[in-house]
Amino acid sequence: MNPAAMGKSAALQLAGIPLTDTVLTTWGIMVALAAAGLFLTRGLKPLPEMGQTAAEAVVATIESAIREVVPAASVREVLPFVATLWLFVLAANLTGLVPGLHAPTRDLSATAALAVLVFASTHWFGIRALGLRSYLRHYAEPSVVLMPFHIISELTRTLALAIRLFGNMMSLEMAALLILMIAGFLVPVPLLMLHVIEALVQAYIFGILALIYIAGAMEPLSPSPEPRESS
Amino acid sequence: MSFDWTTFVLECINFLVLVWILKRFFYRPVLQVLDARQQRIRDETARAAQLQAEADELKRQYESRLSDWNRERAQALETLEQELQKQRSEGLETLRKTLAEEAAKARARDAALVAAREADLVRQASGEAYRHAALMLQRLATPDLTLGIAKVFREDLPVLPDKDRDALRKAGLALGAHPVAEIASAHPLDEDTRAGLVTALSALADCSLQAQFQVVPELIAGLRVVLGESVLHANLCDELDFFKRALPHA
Repeated sequence: MNPAAMGKSAALQLAGIPLTDTVLTTWGIMVALAAAGLFLTRGLKPLPEMGQTAAEAVVATIESAIREVVPAASVREVLPFVATLWLFVLAANLTGLVPGLHAPTRDLSATAALAVLVFASTHWFGIRALGLRSYLRHYAEPSVVLMPFHIISELTRTLALAIRLFGNMMSLEMAALLILMIAGFLVPVPLLMLHVIEALVQAYIFGILALIYIAGAMEPLSPSPEPRESS
Repeated sequence: MSFDWTTFVLECINFLVLVWILKRFFYRPVLQVLDARQQRIRDETARAAQLQAEADELKRQYESRLSDWNRERAQALETLEQELQKQRSEGLETLRKTLAEEAAKARARDAALVAAREADLVRQASGEAYRHAALMLQRLATPDLTLGIAKVFREDLPVLPDKDRDALRKAGLALGAHPVAEIASAHPLDEDTRAGLVTALSALADCSLQAQFQVVPELIAGLRVVLGESVLHANLCDELDFFKRALPHA
């Protein structure tokens, strides 16, 4: 692995479109997740076997986590997006452990794409839950003066979302590469174990932050106080 | 740190496609299974609750019926106790009466037995007394006593009650033209005594009698005259029999 080449090289040209290894790895992850999904949901039974039990456990756990912060009526609406975020980011983070492959999340383009999708989905679910007018009134609460700060907050948190995941994963891979170059074989193994933990933690943080942003957007406005009567 | 717009756009598309794929082929089937299971659990819970309610109702009915049964049983037991008490009282009363009757019968039977026994004993005693008296009189009896008795008999004939005299007369008439009087004596009689007896009897019977004399030692002393259906006793044996019969219970 060449740290300097991470996320830059076009590994393949398809119809004149340069495809980086990030995109190719993402496709691989997509194929793997889709295959796993198809395999686990093949022949579902009322009394589940081991694979079905695992699949049900994953989905039920994610649904339970979403149900804690999102209105009950919108849980199933939000679940595909948030669950896919968790599964994809986790799979992408762990891909870096496979020799010869890079984690797509160590590419700022990929994390930025995920952050932008979270940003867009926040507005999408917020507008669907509250309506456009009510949702836009969010920005004027509690005062119109704070609207620029709201906008800046949303932009910065989106940027932070992208940079946090990218920075953590890139630094981990880079640290592993540096130690491998300096210390030699088997020495980076503890760091790779730390990579596993970090991959899990970062996937959880990314997903839970996305969920909180979406839940915040779907939260109904507090009723405005009654105007005080002048005596 | 570089940024590639093509990768950015492709990643956005990739993720959205992945969301669609997983939603279509993973989340939806799994959620359907979970929903079906939840629904089945709710149905079974509702059915269990319904069964529980039915069981509670049945239990309540059973307890109510059991209570009624217990009450009816208690009433039936009480009625039975009263009936048994009544029957027991009636049975005891009947038994008491029966025992009293049986006791009275037993007392009467015992009294009769005692009386019969006493009578038997008296009879035996009188028999013994008669036998001893007869034995003693047999030792005292002599031909002179027989002659004396015959003399007294002849003297008493004229003063017999009219009833006896009529009976003797009718008996003599019933014997026909030649009536015969059977005269038994304990000892042989002399001719004078015989003649005197025949004469006295013929006068009493108002006819001419023939006499047939015989000696019967069992008479002890004295004589017995049989004229047809009439019998005249003038001997110790018949007197003893008379006294024996005259005794109470004899």
